[in-house]
Amino acid sequence: MPAENERRQRLLQLATGAVFLAIVAVAVLIVVNSTGNGGDTNLEGKGEVKRLLKGIPQHEMDLGSLKAPVELVEFGDLQCPVCRSYSEHVLPPIIETKVRQGQVRIDFHNYVIIGKQSTSAGAAALAAGEQGRGWNYVELFYRNQGEENSGYADDEFLKAVAEGAGVKDIARWQKERKELESNVLGTSGDAQSLGFEGTPSFVILGPNISGGFERLSAPDPGALEEAIEEAVEKAS
Amino acid sequence: MSSPNKFPSEWTLRRLIAFVAALGVGVATYIAIADSGGGAPACIAGGSGFQTVADSSYSHLLGVNVAVFGIVGYLLLLASAFLTSDAARFGGFVVALGGFGFSVYLTYIEVFKIEAICQWCVASAVLMTILFLLNATRLIGYAGAEGELAADAG
Repeated sequence: MPAENERRQRLLQLATGAVFLAIVAVAVLIVVNSTGNGGDTNLEGKGEVKRLLKGIPQHEMDLGSLKAPVELVEFGDLQCPVCRSYSEHVLPPIIETKVRQGQVRIDFHNYVIIGKQSTSAGAAALAAGEQGRGWNYVELFYRNQGEENSGYADDEFLKAVAEGAGVKDIARWQKERKELESNVLGTSGDAQSLGFEGTPSFVILGPNISGGFERLSAPDPGALEEAIEEAVEKAS
Repeated sequence: MSSPNKFPSEWTLRRLIAFVAALGVGVATYIAIADSGGGAPACIAGGSGFQTVADSSYSHLLGVNVAVFGIVGYLLLLASAFLTSDAARFGGFVVALGGFGFSVYLTYIEVFKIEAICQWCVASAVLMTILFLLNATRLIGYAGAEGELAADAG
């Protein structure tokens, strides 16, 4: 039995080591996540956002000509990873064609889903919109989005995005973003009134649309593109 | 070596491990399928904790749905239950320990980061906790034993 005992002791020692390693690994993962990735002000995608939006008129949170016959209202949460995916992959082709050609304009409305920092982030975007940089703010935020509710969207991050988005008067932006938080809550209420349960959700308004508007609650990308195409055809 | 008599027989532990691991395979498979085919992705307000968790950026690791890691882990635990060597005892313990640690981390993420509870994920965490306890008992009770020690009569 000595060999058996020796093997047993060795296995139990290894198991104790494994438990210790597991505790350390879990603790490190939790600490890394609780500190978040805030403070990273090396923004990515500035050039990409600038190229995407260059030459397209912006008015508050509207992107595109105010005379465009079709209006696409987007209800989004700046912390929502699915909204980021839409921003990076679904909306750019629409912006580059229908918005740039003056057929569609997109109006970004905040719908707070994820957490408290979504409200301050949304208000920061609205304040950038007061200076004609709302869409630069939204697009640049999405391209630098961190993990949900990890605390990354702090004042330092919001200011870095404002500067990266080209907001000229930062002092005015700082003042107005506080005042605009109630607006964020207001549009969130609108989204709930429309029956939207998630983000991104959309409303399409345009001539000859049955009932005046079409609502798309968290649609898949194909359904959104098809609905916009139909709205443009009805308007032409 | 301490007497195995104070522990359930290894035969009993192995069958319990196999049963719970099989349940785990089912739960993790359901999560993986529901996540991949659950309609258009969206960030959901309240209510559907599962969808909120599934659509969060934490639901994938290195581009792979974490439920897939769960399926692999449960299958390894199931396989370990069919073997009686020290390698199977220790391997089962290490896999269950890893799964239990990862479940603790994911539960923390659900409660404090995503702020949504996915009931199927909780079910999986409970199963993995049970498997960790069963495999720890098996290792402590039977490490070093040749083959399978006999039965409940002990």
